[in-house]
Amino acid sequence: MRWRRMAGVYRQYWRINILTTLEYRENFVVWFAFTFVYHGSSIAALWIVLSRFPSMNGWSFRDMAFLYALWMVAHALHNTLFSTVGEVPDHIRNGEFDRLLVRPLDTLFQAIATPGQVFPDELVLAIVTFVAATIYAGVHVDAMFLTFIPLIFIGGALIDLGINLIISTAAFWFVKVDALRWIFVQLEQEFTRYPVTIYTRGVRFVLTFVFPFAFMNYFPARYFLHKGMSGLGLPPVAGLLTPAIGIVFVALAYVFWRFGLNRYQGVGH
Amino acid sequence: MAIIEAADLRKVFRRIVRRPGIGGAVRALFSREYEDKIAVDGVNFTLAEGELVGYLGPNGAGKSTTIKILTGILVPTSGSVRVAGIVPYQRRQENAENIGVVFGQRSQLYWDLPLRESFELLRAIYDVPRNRYLENLAHFSAILDLERFLDTPVRQLSLGERMRGDFAAAMLHDPKIVYLDEPTIGLDVVAKEAIREFITRVNRERGTTVILTTHDLADVERLTPRVILIDEGRVIFDGALQRLRTEYGTHRTLVVTFAEAPTNIDVPGTEIESREGLVVRLRFDRRKLSAEAIIRRVMERYPISDVSIIEPDIDTIVRRIYVEGYQHGAVGAPS
Repeated sequence: MRWRRMAGVYRQYWRINILTTLEYRENFVVWFAFTFVYHGSSIAALWIVLSRFPSMNGWSFRDMAFLYALWMVAHALHNTLFSTVGEVPDHIRNGEFDRLLVRPLDTLFQAIATPGQVFPDELVLAIVTFVAATIYAGVHVDAMFLTFIPLIFIGGALIDLGINLIISTAAFWFVKVDALRWIFVQLEQEFTRYPVTIYTRGVRFVLTFVFPFAFMNYFPARYFLHKGMSGLGLPPVAGLLTPAIGIVFVALAYVFWRFGLNRYQGVGH
Repeated sequence: MAIIEAADLRKVFRRIVRRPGIGGAVRALFSREYEDKIAVDGVNFTLAEGELVGYLGPNGAGKSTTIKILTGILVPTSGSVRVAGIVPYQRRQENAENIGVVFGQRSQLYWDLPLRESFELLRAIYDVPRNRYLENLAHFSAILDLERFLDTPVRQLSLGERMRGDFAAAMLHDPKIVYLDEPTIGLDVVAKEAIREFITRVNRERGTTVILTTHDLADVERLTPRVILIDEGRVIFDGALQRLRTEYGTHRTLVVTFAEAPTNIDVPGTEIESREGLVVRLRFDRRKLSAEAIIRRVMERYPISDVSIIEPDIDTIVRRIYVEGYQHGAVGAPS
């Protein structure tokens, strides 16, 4: 009953999303072009840096293209499906958040299903890049790969959602959290570009067990590229745990969200 | 049957003490002081199903905080609250099914899209059966004259049109109770009238309970037989508008136009409110003196060309209560 209702709302949300995007045709065209320029230039920049090293801790340039593309799809999937969670602090600040509390649906679901201007252009580009990188890296595509890769993308997107949600939840206390968000966006971009083995043990631990960015691309890439043991002693098969890690991480973030929401209802802001 | 019961409702906020200027803001980075602000301080009232009530008070009196508790947005510090048998903050989503909310200053419509799209989203959110939705939409369109702009992007609507859209949006799911927070703010006379008509009809025809907060006392005079006045977090009056008028509207004003400019005006039992040329306004207490007696006194002393009497309007009465507080013996306890 409730799920059916949520599905109906979600469908309507996408309808509004697409209609809003198309309402401003010129803006849409510029945005669409920008997506390709923006991501194209970051791939090119990475290319220049990496092509100077024949290999990095046993990872060739081809391996790293695959590593980057894995992250890119998961991240784009998050940006397409869950980015409106990042608007919660603004809604808290201008009072719009109260609207979610007087509607008969879960607040987080509503935050996700708040129509923003999202279009799956970034996701399309990321998937194209991923297909190219897979071929380029010579990854063996079999049933196992085809089964797990979509799940790994979803798990990776959930890890991103968890981070996004934790930062947005902090706004129940601090209202404005732009600085915190900026730090995480930067760190995520840095730490997902290279194999985590190049970092110190402490950083590796954080990227694996605290903010599990390493599960977005490093561990799955290691599994599919047959890289053997990692510095943290996890077996290669850990790379298939991404979906589970994503679910657990989001669940924990949701507990934090509920805690913050209770505080908001207790003290206002 | 009581549909809303609030008993001893209290809400205390902890606020950072803010010092003025950049210097103060920098100091606050390092050391912060907090103070308790009592927003709602022991509010009691009950509303029967189908009532239409004006909830009034100056800015910062605790109106919005009360509404936020009733809608389930805020948890009260203490006291009890029940809305249609539900404690709103404990079962917020369930409570949300029963209520509609219009925040006059904030729209729930999607700016970039035709009005109809916002309605469709709300239909999905409240899971309104398609038939019922179409019935309601047709009904509200007829009263609010929505038909003309149903397919116009909301950003192109006038404030009055947008507000009408917001009202329909809040009512599409047949709520038992609607909270209207300053619904007529900024509207022109025609739009105000349309909104008032809509509120009256929804209340009368559907038996919807309505709580209205407003600063426009014409809304109250036109709509709500009962008013609850709140100041500094407390209910200072709860009763019929008529009673407010007789208990607080004790002073009248006699407007006298003198035939020639008098040197000094002294009429026992009155005080001068204002004086502009030959026109002088004298205030008197109607319980102590009749208008007739005052007019006689004036005429005995001065040559005059015209007199008229002004009854205090609700605006004046409420302003007096805000300014003078409620030490007045005549304040009625909730009956």
